[in-house]
Amino acid sequence: MIELRSVVKKFGSFTAVDGLSLTIPRGQFFGFLGPNGAGKTTTIKMLTGLYEPTAGACLINGHDVRRRPLEAKRSFGYVPDQPYLYEKLSGREFLYFVGGLFEIPTATIRERIEELVERFELQRFIDKRAEEYSQGMRQRIVLSSALLHDPLVLIIDEPLVGLDPRSARLVKDTLKQKTREGTTVFMSTHLLEIVEELCDRIAIIKDGRLIHDETQTAARTFNGQLEAIFLELTK
Amino acid sequence: MRALLLVFNVKATTFLASLSSLRGQNVFKNLSSVIIFGGVALGVFLLARGVTAYLIQEAHIGQFLYHRFLSMLLYVFFVTVNLGNMIVCYATLYRSEEVTFLMGLPIAHEKIFLIKFVDNFFYSSGTLTLLGLSWLLGYGSFYYMPWYFYFFTIFAVLLPFMLIAGFVAVMVLMVLIKIAVEIGIRWLLAIIVGTYLTAIYAYFKVTNPVQLVEEVMKHYPNVNQYFGYLDAPFARYLPNHWVSEFLYWSVHGDAARALPHFFTLVITLAALAVVAAFMARRYYYRSWIASSDARALVRERRSPLRLRLLEFGERRMLRPKIDALVKRDIWLFLREPSQWLHLILMLLLLMIFVISLGQMELKLAQPLLQSVAFLVVFLFNGFLVASVSLRFVFPAVSLEGDTFWAVRAAPLSLRRLYWYKFWIAFLLVSAVGEALAVAATVLLRNDPVLVALAVVCTGFVSLALTSMNLGAGSYFAAYREKNPIRVASSQGASMTFLLALVYLATVVAVLVLPLTTYFRNLIIHGVASTSWVYLPVAVIAVISTGLFLMASRVGLAAIQRDF
Repeated sequence: MIELRSVVKKFGSFTAVDGLSLTIPRGQFFGFLGPNGAGKTTTIKMLTGLYEPTAGACLINGHDVRRRPLEAKRSFGYVPDQPYLYEKLSGREFLYFVGGLFEIPTATIRERIEELVERFELQRFIDKRAEEYSQGMRQRIVLSSALLHDPLVLIIDEPLVGLDPRSARLVKDTLKQKTREGTTVFMSTHLLEIVEELCDRIAIIKDGRLIHDETQTAARTFNGQLEAIFLELTK
Repeated sequence: MRALLLVFNVKATTFLASLSSLRGQNVFKNLSSVIIFGGVALGVFLLARGVTAYLIQEAHIGQFLYHRFLSMLLYVFFVTVNLGNMIVCYATLYRSEEVTFLMGLPIAHEKIFLIKFVDNFFYSSGTLTLLGLSWLLGYGSFYYMPWYFYFFTIFAVLLPFMLIAGFVAVMVLMVLIKIAVEIGIRWLLAIIVGTYLTAIYAYFKVTNPVQLVEEVMKHYPNVNQYFGYLDAPFARYLPNHWVSEFLYWSVHGDAARALPHFFTLVITLAALAVVAAFMARRYYYRSWIASSDARALVRERRSPLRLRLLEFGERRMLRPKIDALVKRDIWLFLREPSQWLHLILMLLLLMIFVISLGQMELKLAQPLLQSVAFLVVFLFNGFLVASVSLRFVFPAVSLEGDTFWAVRAAPLSLRRLYWYKFWIAFLLVSAVGEALAVAATVLLRNDPVLVALAVVCTGFVSLALTSMNLGAGSYFAAYREKNPIRVASSQGASMTFLLALVYLATVVAVLVLPLTTYFRNLIIHGVASTSWVYLPVAVIAVISTGLFLMASRVGLAAIQRDF
């Protein structure tokens, strides 16, 4: 469902991602970890077509993001690390805008927005302009925009930053439900307890290289040890 | 004082770091910048020298009349610096995130004011300073002025002159912010625009250049006896008059009469600086708070503008992706007062230009003069189209902003996005350009050949200018900059504008000879072959299409860069 083939990203002489290879099957909740500056956001930006890899290839649902960007982009939803919105548009208008870019019929967008408003409790502010939103409100609108077209893959960069405990619970429940329905989730975060709670598999990168890849099963869980593993591997 | 120096030091270091960065794009930008700014400075220098030589030696208009024209030019310069400072000032002193950051530090408010004033002054007056200095060098070299004249005039006369314009702008703004809280920002901006237009109109009405020429030439060559009559009383109290008087007496070698005007300038500047410092201490923080409160209040009281056809949830008139982009762009434009107010202001200026043209008698008997009149009007049209393109087309890609992630992560081809932006911009720019071209040519000389020539040439000019501004705007995209006015006055934008002026000058140069021949035949023989105008149109078509292809190639590559 998601495949990274020896991906390299260089900025001048600096190598941000160095030969990263990963295969994430359908329905897996994948946690992508690493210290600050390890190359997590760069990898996500290459997956979503915001950066072009210097070498290697990123495939989503079998489509190379560089060669067949439109097909690849149709199959994923993206939540960036900073939930930027158009300040002068309301949340509802933003969702209609994104729906238009995905060529979803207007009536379907309307229905989906009502569902998302209900799910993420957006009623109070969905029709206000984004310039009035708090970080948490923005985050919930951006997450809604990623789910609007019911994607097969969700790529999420720090989804819980700025969310109050109730909103965080809503988001976590939604993501769990999505993976149960067969959606692949690629999540980058620093919150290790969230990773332990949600992820089937984790990978840790450091200096752009994969240093750890482990799958959590019923028989083998992290059992609160993830922090120790992370600190040991990234020191 | 230490805090102030520290902030200026950080700003200088950031600026120098941006200059010395060895990234490919940056090196190219700085190199191109040096070439283009240098080229334009040289062009203005030669123009100033040539125009001064022509007016003094060929047209014999005399020193007095020449310096009165210079005074008018300086007035326009003053108003431009003043208006530029005021427009950018609101964003810099009141809406900048840096101010919010600085307000949270133990720095006195008047120091924050000073930091942002300097920032604002250099940002909004940089290109104008270059043009002013080049003109001064050209002017001075005609009179063989010594080196210290330039040194003194630049630092002791021109800089105070521009600083006066800047100080007046911020002081007026501080007062206006307080008034804005009472009557609302939109009304206030409308009043400012109205006042400025009235001031420009009144100045030229009172100083009337046509009347001035007629009066002086009536008594030519004994024009000196009319000196006393010709100055409108209020004009003597304006800084542009003091600068032109300083220059007038300087080129006559009469320092005793030149220096009082310099002292008047410096004393005025000192007085304004003291008043501005006083106002900053008393009102800046309060007006900054008032401005923030007013913005919050506007949000609360907002009554949404409803245009059913443009509502996102309504039936789509276009294909889904284009429909979404069009609706987004229209709403973002309508909800940003700085965008639509600026457009209204520009359209008003265009109207004033056309109305003024209608009142001028420009059907001249001499072929060369008739040709010059046509080309000057055409050049001015081109200048207006270039200004509209710079202000609204150049920032088009930057305005995608931080939220560009949403477009880039969606299944939308970036090439398609670029062409969508191009066609929308081209339609609007050419509509403005063609309306101006037709109106101006009909008013000038209602000749179908000339109207057709103006329409076709304007079409190509619009094509070239739109693609240049969109392409360069894409290349120099500043997604982090939220203020379109700052994008349109950035280094990249200034370079693009100067390039546009070079292009317009080339178009005019191509038209000079064939047009003069056309007018000669028309005026002397009563008929003229239209073949005289085909060749220049073909040359303009080739140049413009070449520019369009080049700019589009650059723009398309740039919009697909890493975000």
